[in-house]
Amino acid sequence: MFYRLAGIRHTSYAADRALWPVPVDRWQIGVLLALALAAPFVLPNLYLSSYLLPWIIWSTAALGLNLLMGWAGQIHLGYAAVMAIGAYGTIHLVRAGMPFELAIVAGGLLSAVIGLVFGFAALRVKGLYLAISTLAMQYLVDWIISHVPAISGGSQATLQAPNFRVLGLPVAGDFARYYVALAVCLLVTLFLLNVGRTSFGRALVAVREKDFAAAILGVNTFYFKLLAFWCSSFLGGVSGVLLAFCYYRAVTPEQFNLDVSIQAVAMVIVGGMGSVMGSYLGAALVLLAPIVLNNLVGTLAQAGALPVSQEILSHIPLILYGGLIVAFLLFEPLGLAKVYDNLRNYFLVWPFRHARH
Amino acid sequence: MRKMITGLALAAGLSATALASAAAQDKAPIKVGTALDFTAVYTFVTAEYSQGQRDYIALLNAKGGIKGHPVEIMVVDTGNQPQRGIEAYERFKSEGAVLVDFLSTPVSRAVVPRALGDGMNVVTMFHGRSDAADGKVFPTIFPMTPAYWSQATAIVKYIEGQEKGGLKGKRIALVMIDSPFGREPVPVFEELSKRLGYEFATFPYPSPGNEQSATWTQLRRDKPDWTIIWGAGGGQPVSVREAMRNGVPLDHLASVIWISETDANIIGADQTKGLLRFEGVASGKDPAVIKAIQQEVVAKGKAAGPAEKVGSTYYNIGVASMALFAEGARRALDKEGEPLTPAKLKHGLESIKDFTADGLLPPVTITSEDHQGGGRGRIAAWDGSKWTAKSDWSAAYQDIVWNLVHKSAEEFKASGK
Repeated sequence: MFYRLAGIRHTSYAADRALWPVPVDRWQIGVLLALALAAPFVLPNLYLSSYLLPWIIWSTAALGLNLLMGWAGQIHLGYAAVMAIGAYGTIHLVRAGMPFELAIVAGGLLSAVIGLVFGFAALRVKGLYLAISTLAMQYLVDWIISHVPAISGGSQATLQAPNFRVLGLPVAGDFARYYVALAVCLLVTLFLLNVGRTSFGRALVAVREKDFAAAILGVNTFYFKLLAFWCSSFLGGVSGVLLAFCYYRAVTPEQFNLDVSIQAVAMVIVGGMGSVMGSYLGAALVLLAPIVLNNLVGTLAQAGALPVSQEILSHIPLILYGGLIVAFLLFEPLGLAKVYDNLRNYFLVWPFRHARH
Repeated sequence: MRKMITGLALAAGLSATALASAAAQDKAPIKVGTALDFTAVYTFVTAEYSQGQRDYIALLNAKGGIKGHPVEIMVVDTGNQPQRGIEAYERFKSEGAVLVDFLSTPVSRAVVPRALGDGMNVVTMFHGRSDAADGKVFPTIFPMTPAYWSQATAIVKYIEGQEKGGLKGKRIALVMIDSPFGREPVPVFEELSKRLGYEFATFPYPSPGNEQSATWTQLRRDKPDWTIIWGAGGGQPVSVREAMRNGVPLDHLASVIWISETDANIIGADQTKGLLRFEGVASGKDPAVIKAIQQEVVAKGKAAGPAEKVGSTYYNIGVASMALFAEGARRALDKEGEPLTPAKLKHGLESIKDFTADGLLPPVTITSEDHQGGGRGRIAAWDGSKWTAKSDWSAAYQDIVWNLVHKSAEEFKASGK
């Protein structure tokens, strides 16, 4: 009913392979894009700079990790370290005088190269063993950053992000930073959307489902696993750069510690493995739910509805948040993206209960 | 569902009445935002610190506020996550706060670039960037208390006073957490060792410090005359226990500021006798302002937490932070008039002169250059039930501290270009 399929005819290969063959989907994307572009003019600054901006950047990061976890089926517990490499690399390059446009790519490449080195080691192992070896990467990178003052920026271990220009225009203020982050996020999204319809994406899926079956089918699993590590690390590095330049405006080792890696993995799992939309939804839940719950509980407490001490009050959002994640995974193990998919399937045939096959 | 809606409506109604009663007061409230870590890393200090802040504000409001303005303190948890701290910061800003406090080094560091850009005052009592003492480079960051570097010099000064024959040839060891925080005082100790002639060695233990036995075995081989521990939270009692196990006399063991009554009781109140620590705020219930809180707030059942925590080390630090803020606000309103803005408060704080909060603090003098407030502190020892002062309030070797402050602040300035 709502997602009308009547009149959609695939008369050419291009039309058949379109990203969104259903007009309503295209409309939705258009509206979302328009909202994203108009957001700085509509949203109060508080919501732009501390909700929408980090959400967009974290979605970019989750997309990068999703390529590795969701598409290629390789777990990575050191994703924050990958992001840190990109962030620190780019800051040092921009300070050395490299233009930002080049430095963000260089930072991504640096992440990709180092990520690939660990990817090589990881290729020998699978599953839980892979989790542990990527965890080693997290600890190693953390240790190196905080122990080499030349990287971390002296005794205070903080580096400010230098002022930067994009295409000759100085990026200052929340508007400009938001649009830079949005542009990169859209590029990454577009890339991920297209991965699904290329031989690269199909090879990754084959590797994910069973790597030796893929090898029998003629997929070079070694090559594609490495490629997945390479691409994912590149995207991770780029999202780290955005985090450093557009959001935090300074980097410290704590911004990329193990907790952050775990959060990134949670975003992918809660959002939905192998789903572009899932990365956005997962990032929203993991990043914003604690803040929203905290404010909600705070409002209730101010109103006198929760007569408990501040320490207990501070733990209530944590309990709710934990419950929320467990509940989502119980009711829909395939993630938030699947929740939307179920809704969409329902409305596809509404008011009838089942589609005729 | 219906129940939930009724609940929400009730909550909305209640908050509306709360707002109405606030508006009934004659002058607009002055707002302070504190986004603290109640749930993750800084749990060892946050509850007492925040209780001290809220109790002092309650005392202030009971006495008529700051020149007739009631003070409103907003408290929210950050879980030590920078992004939650930034959200809280932006929210405080939009609510019209004139001063914010995070009591977390990672969160403070993440907020510093924004706060400098917005001209928002940030309190960083005993934490955050040591080089924020440089008011020229960090115009709106206010440590107002001795930086870690000043704590290091104060401890060495005390040792110097104890060793009558001078420090030449003596061995001083630093056992510290292997993190930027733990390594921060090292240049000060090294510089002083050149000046005073003692031998200096460092013994790092891995973060978070639950396991330190290997480090202390090494230290035992080195046989230092004095040992200094530099950590925070759960690692501190572990350090002291390991020191005792390895035969380090506690009256020759000095700690950075982060060790409290709670830690002493964890180790064993009697066993800990003699342990030394740096303090920048008097602890205990003797200072006049703490007595006033006991009478006006705690006795009237308005305390923000358990009464037995009143007068504890971190509680008093919380009180001191708000007392300094109130003094700054008072001066700002006197000099520049209504309404209080962040910029006026900055000037007010920078005009604080020889302020002791009725004996709670050493004389604090803040200027537009010196946001450290003079760097005065003292050494206290645990006597089995409380911390007693072993020296008078004083600042030591500030030339070394300020060399480092200027050097580090210059680096910070250059990095933002």
